[in-house]
Amino acid sequence: MHQVDLEAVRNERRHLGELAPKVIRIALGLGIVGVASGVVFALIGAGWRHFLFSYTAAFAYVLSLALGGMFFVVVKHLTKAGWNVTVRRIGELSAATLPFLFLLFLPILGVVLAGSGELFRWADPEVARTDHLIHAKAPWLNPTSFALRWVLFFVIWTVISRFFFKRSVEQDESGDPALTKRMEFLSAPSMILFALTLTFASFDLLMSLDAHWFSTIFGVYYFSGAVVGFLSFAILAYMFLQRFGILQSAVTVEHYHDLGKLLFAFVFFWGYIAFSQYMLIWYGNIPEETVWFQHRQSGTWAGVAIVLLFGHFLIPFPGLLSRHAKRKLGILAFWAAWMMIMHYVDIYYIVMPNFDSHHAPLHVMDITVWIGMTSLFVALVAWVGRHCSLLPVKDPRLSEALAFENS
Amino acid sequence: MTNGAPRTDPPLHGIVAEYADPEALKAAAARVRDAGFKKFDCYSPFPVHGIDPAMGIRPTRLPWLILACGLVGCFGALWMQWWMNAVDYPFMISGKPLFSLPANVPVIFELTVLLSAFGAFFGALILNDLPRLHNPLFNLSRFRKATDNGFFLAIDASDPGFEEGKVKTLLGEGAVGVEACYDEDPNEELPPAFWTAGLILFLVALVPLGLAMKSRNSTSKAPRLHVFTDMDFQPMFKAQRASALFPDGRAMRLPVPGTVAVEDVAVEGPAETGKENGAWLAKSPVPWTVSNLKAGRKAYDIHCAVCHGATGRGDGPVALRARELAEAKWVAPTNLLDARIRGLPPGQVFDVITNGIRNMPAYAAQIPVEERWMIVGYLKALQRSRNATIEDVPADRRKELK
Repeated sequence: MHQVDLEAVRNERRHLGELAPKVIRIALGLGIVGVASGVVFALIGAGWRHFLFSYTAAFAYVLSLALGGMFFVVVKHLTKAGWNVTVRRIGELSAATLPFLFLLFLPILGVVLAGSGELFRWADPEVARTDHLIHAKAPWLNPTSFALRWVLFFVIWTVISRFFFKRSVEQDESGDPALTKRMEFLSAPSMILFALTLTFASFDLLMSLDAHWFSTIFGVYYFSGAVVGFLSFAILAYMFLQRFGILQSAVTVEHYHDLGKLLFAFVFFWGYIAFSQYMLIWYGNIPEETVWFQHRQSGTWAGVAIVLLFGHFLIPFPGLLSRHAKRKLGILAFWAAWMMIMHYVDIYYIVMPNFDSHHAPLHVMDITVWIGMTSLFVALVAWVGRHCSLLPVKDPRLSEALAFENS
Repeated sequence: MTNGAPRTDPPLHGIVAEYADPEALKAAAARVRDAGFKKFDCYSPFPVHGIDPAMGIRPTRLPWLILACGLVGCFGALWMQWWMNAVDYPFMISGKPLFSLPANVPVIFELTVLLSAFGAFFGALILNDLPRLHNPLFNLSRFRKATDNGFFLAIDASDPGFEEGKVKTLLGEGAVGVEACYDEDPNEELPPAFWTAGLILFLVALVPLGLAMKSRNSTSKAPRLHVFTDMDFQPMFKAQRASALFPDGRAMRLPVPGTVAVEDVAVEGPAETGKENGAWLAKSPVPWTVSNLKAGRKAYDIHCAVCHGATGRGDGPVALRARELAEAKWVAPTNLLDARIRGLPPGQVFDVITNGIRNMPAYAAQIPVEERWMIVGYLKALQRSRNATIEDVPADRRKELK
């Protein structure tokens, strides 16, 4: 049984304060070194094409963390949830990085607009002319409409993430409950826009890497991984903040327990969706669909698929099943870190077979660029949140969240 | 109360105390726990956080029960499907292996969820001693507030440490009121009408089962019962029948002008026909390498084994089933290990796969040309392996045989 000491909540540190410049400096440094290492590896022999694929995988990874954060915030308002007010801001901050992620997207957009088929075969005008299937899909898959769509995606994401972040911070000052009402009202259209943009963004960014192939469930697949990634990130982020004396009373084991429950649920949801996609294609046995899994079941990719099956689903599922695993913070931290790595293996498994369909081309840069890009994301989160309180102090449901207790 | 009947005082059920709020209830529960009582319970209009430790209740065993039920569902479903599909009634479906894990996962998932839910639902009932038809606490009018705004604690009279006076003082601290509860009707037997009704219901429930058993063990001249008429009588035409729907009076439609039949575009060379200058090819145009023979084996197992059997003996599941049903029109598949078949040139075997023979349909549409040659190669290897002599074994490895 626990009791939140309201006096302690009132008096404890809620701002990043002097921690912000430190985090930004270290993460930005790591990020630049990580991404630059990819450029160096590309120059000394691995080739630009490999770097492009590594970069795309790492970008899809951080994009999923930001979108997962947006989902967390929007679904909180949509359901008028009370328990997660104390842990909501990390979602708002993650989503608020989306406008800046557009800068990281520019290299990919540049490659497409230059008409290079190195990353997306369909972007090459010669391929689009001669390849029958790609030719038939050209009205959708062409550099111009790709660019227009991505500008639209980022505009929508920017509007939604700014809206929820700004209103929420505004409430820290004014305490106006009408702001909560307004966010709850607009969460419904936001959720619809979120679902549509995430689905089509995943089609463009990941599915069209193999433009012959298609799967209607693909957006849901990317979504399930995105939420797994974000929840793991949120759990680790709050543990990090508490270690530095921030929000030590406001965020309790009850909140970790519920974040853990959601993580557990989405680990299973990922398995459910991944298998749904696999089984329908396996059973239908139509070559134009099975080829995607054919590549991912032959050579060393078969090993990666097994790692995913066990590492992303069959091992963390019993691992997170018990109540104790979610309430012992060391164990929960272990699974959160584990799932952050597995989420990258998942994205790697989606992206890299398009670079080499026979052997998993594991190169040091696949790791360094990923760590670099994730560090850039962390730096962005810290930068966006450098001034604001990390607890929505005047949210009308804050007292509910503080008193929240799993029976 | 009936007049004149000798009436003993009803036995004491327990002592009940009412408290004003959850905090007082928790404090009282902690006192009762510390006084060493085991048989007592708390009653509140809503779940009170922290009541479990205050009452000294150990964490429930329910999760372990659910886990056990879930595991039974998981492995039970796996075992059931393995036994049904691969052991008891092996039947090949679209070339998939008899025991095929991906196809089994949905049933495994559903049964795991179902049995877990059963475990949670019935487990919670049983662990809470439910269903319980009557509780003497309801004799107290005050107790009705337990679903509204009253917080109660009751100590059972059967607790070893129970002493009425002591318990009353213990509970009295901070209580709104303390009352003794008597068991007005200690007879916990169910009324006989309950058993009669239950027996009748049970017998009625057996009727459909009995009817089904009767139908399974007898014959009838009555037409069958149509439950799904839409399915039994579909608005469709049989081939070559007349129809008033179209102006030309035919049910079948002619191909669109300009339609080209698949056979018309096939390229006709020795590799596609198995023939050169009117003679069957004696050598496969596709080399019979180990990997090609393995591909041939895979294709054979998908397309051929259902009838000809995995070893070519003509004993595939379709053939066995037809024999079992004594199908009059059934032409049994050829035993591919016969000397006659073994003597056929590869080109002729290829031709049979391509165009079919007797009852066997043509497989040109399903199997690409190269794969057909691989099947021929595998078949030749199969025939040789089934008719091998010691001469076929390399001299230096013969002693490995026993």
